[in-house]
Amino acid sequence: MVNSVIAGLTSGGGYALLGLCVVLTYRLVAVVNFAMTAVGAFGAFVMVSLTDAGLDVWSSLVLGAASAALLSAALGAALVRWFAGHRERTKAAVTVALYVALTAVGLRLFGGTTTGAHRFPDPFGAPVFTVGGVVVPRSVLVSLAFAALITLGVGLLLTRTGLGLRLQALSERPATAEVVGIPAPRLAVGVWAGVGAVTMLVIVLVAPRLGGDFSTLSGLISTALAVAMVGAFRSLPLTLAGGLVLGCLEGASSAVESIQKYQGVVPFLVILVLLWWRSRGEVWDTAHSR
Amino acid sequence: MKRTHHRAAAAAVLSLTVPLGLTACSDSGGSTDGPIKVGAINGITGLFQTPEVPKTVKAVFDEVNAAGGIGGRKLELVSKDDAMDPQRSGQAARELIQSSKVVAFAGSSSAVDCGLNRATYSKEKIVSIPAVGVDPACFTSPNIAPVNPGPYGLTTAMLYYASETLKRDKVCLNYTVLPGSGGGIEAAIKEWTNLTGKTLALKNLAVGNGDPTRYLVADKNAGCQAVVYNAVVGPWFAQARTQGMQKVDFLLAANSYTDANAKVIPPDMSAYAGTEWQPYTDTTLPGNGRWAKLVEAHGIQKTAFSQGAVMAADVFVQVLKTIKGDITRKTVTDAFKKMKPIQYPMVGTPWVFGPGKEHSPIKGSRFVKAENGGWKVLPGGFTVPGKVS
Repeated sequence: MVNSVIAGLTSGGGYALLGLCVVLTYRLVAVVNFAMTAVGAFGAFVMVSLTDAGLDVWSSLVLGAASAALLSAALGAALVRWFAGHRERTKAAVTVALYVALTAVGLRLFGGTTTGAHRFPDPFGAPVFTVGGVVVPRSVLVSLAFAALITLGVGLLLTRTGLGLRLQALSERPATAEVVGIPAPRLAVGVWAGVGAVTMLVIVLVAPRLGGDFSTLSGLISTALAVAMVGAFRSLPLTLAGGLVLGCLEGASSAVESIQKYQGVVPFLVILVLLWWRSRGEVWDTAHSR
Repeated sequence: MKRTHHRAAAAAVLSLTVPLGLTACSDSGGSTDGPIKVGAINGITGLFQTPEVPKTVKAVFDEVNAAGGIGGRKLELVSKDDAMDPQRSGQAARELIQSSKVVAFAGSSSAVDCGLNRATYSKEKIVSIPAVGVDPACFTSPNIAPVNPGPYGLTTAMLYYASETLKRDKVCLNYTVLPGSGGGIEAAIKEWTNLTGKTLALKNLAVGNGDPTRYLVADKNAGCQAVVYNAVVGPWFAQARTQGMQKVDFLLAANSYTDANAKVIPPDMSAYAGTEWQPYTDTTLPGNGRWAKLVEAHGIQKTAFSQGAVMAADVFVQVLKTIKGDITRKTVTDAFKKMKPIQYPMVGTPWVFGPGKEHSPIKGSRFVKAENGGWKVLPGGFTVPGKVS
């Protein structure tokens, strides 16, 4: 049981990174982006296609990230151009449609679960130490460090810099931001491009652990959204914690035979309880403030 | 008002014609002149895609037609895509039986067809010879007999290979099981236990998506020497390597036997795959020559599923040729129920339909090993559990 929890914890960094990408997008452009992992997977597969063709890893990585940035920017531009005044749910619905479309295109281009499996470069695969029979590779530490960097870096960017302030204004009141002179559409497309590139890097980092084919990687959106829920799509530190909790829960639920069959559901049930608990507090606060 | 009248009239006409149409269909069971219509339900779109299967069956039929057909009548394949959608699958079977008046089904490859349509096939007294039997009902129905051992037969063969051929004492099983298939897998494990007297060191039938490290750590703790596995390959082997499991033999199910998967397995890991037919990666193996020539000539992808398609079409044609007189649904069904076993080189045991209440004629598996980014065919022919080779 302890070993399984430790094993689960080593997955937590990757889950946290995925959740952070969702929260990042939401905080910066106020869209719950269902197409996020599909865009990242697209860039990741551009990268491996280029390495297959003989290009070196670093150039492929840069070109893959650029292609994800471009795709994400195109998606962002479409949302800014045609859906700027719409509600969040409409924008989310657009990204759901794009997720379906991108997954279908990706399946055609890069193959299915068995025919399109790819071996992603795993530069951080070397073991660092062993805890309770679980070998912890360098990638776990890199994922955690990357997750902490995003949490801290973006937190500071949003609260301590002029750019962060403009980005917050853009996310919360795009129309007002434009009135006060913030170049909203251009900034928004830039943010979309940046998030696309970061997501691609995250996907490449988690691919050796979480899946080597297009559909599995683009399907990681469900995990990403579950983790983002823990942070209520706002809190970066809570999202980071959510990733680790999800990993631990997965590990624990796979170790207990009686709940093994439902291990896919257990983490989500716990998240549901967490959300209910938090909303209960909010209702309590609201009732008292009246 | 006028529209209401039209609707009422249309309903009246329908209520008259539909029962008449149905009666006509079930009486005729396919016409006695013109082409012999053969149905197939294939996954072309959706999660389970086998577009090469109907193309290959059609290629076999074209070959037969070019040589004069069956008793002067041409074979015509009517394939419908069910997109792994239960509603579409049921509708496809009904349409093929009632509207297209097919005499039988040959070369189906759908993940939902058998379970959904088994009752229809029994009721309509029509037989189905799937190219790829996927769900448990394909192997436990009176009117369905696939040409592959299927996931259950293959599981027994893989366990048998691990314990008897590789001589591993601690055999473990990590499976992703589709809803409703758990019983079949349990029965397959039980069959292996009955044959060998051995039990699993660890069994997990709930391997899910996400990081596989937790399952691998459990395997390590249980001291598994061989692990029978059927889920996503890439991350499994990457993490098994990280966990230092280079000395464990991993046996993969037939769905993992693809060129892409051979490339993702790290060279220092020990990975085997069970194959349902002769390994498709070696065209010199018995029966593979004809298949390779056929699919190459038609530009069809070389996959294990296309092997199943050739075999299903071949055995179908062979049985059809034994029918004396009219070829109708009734005579076709009778011929299959009374047929003699056919020795087909691509599989481990003879294929037969016969009169039984369930049919799983093909047993055993061949094994390949991942080496240098490809699959190496292992000697020793088919491993048929319980049969000394």
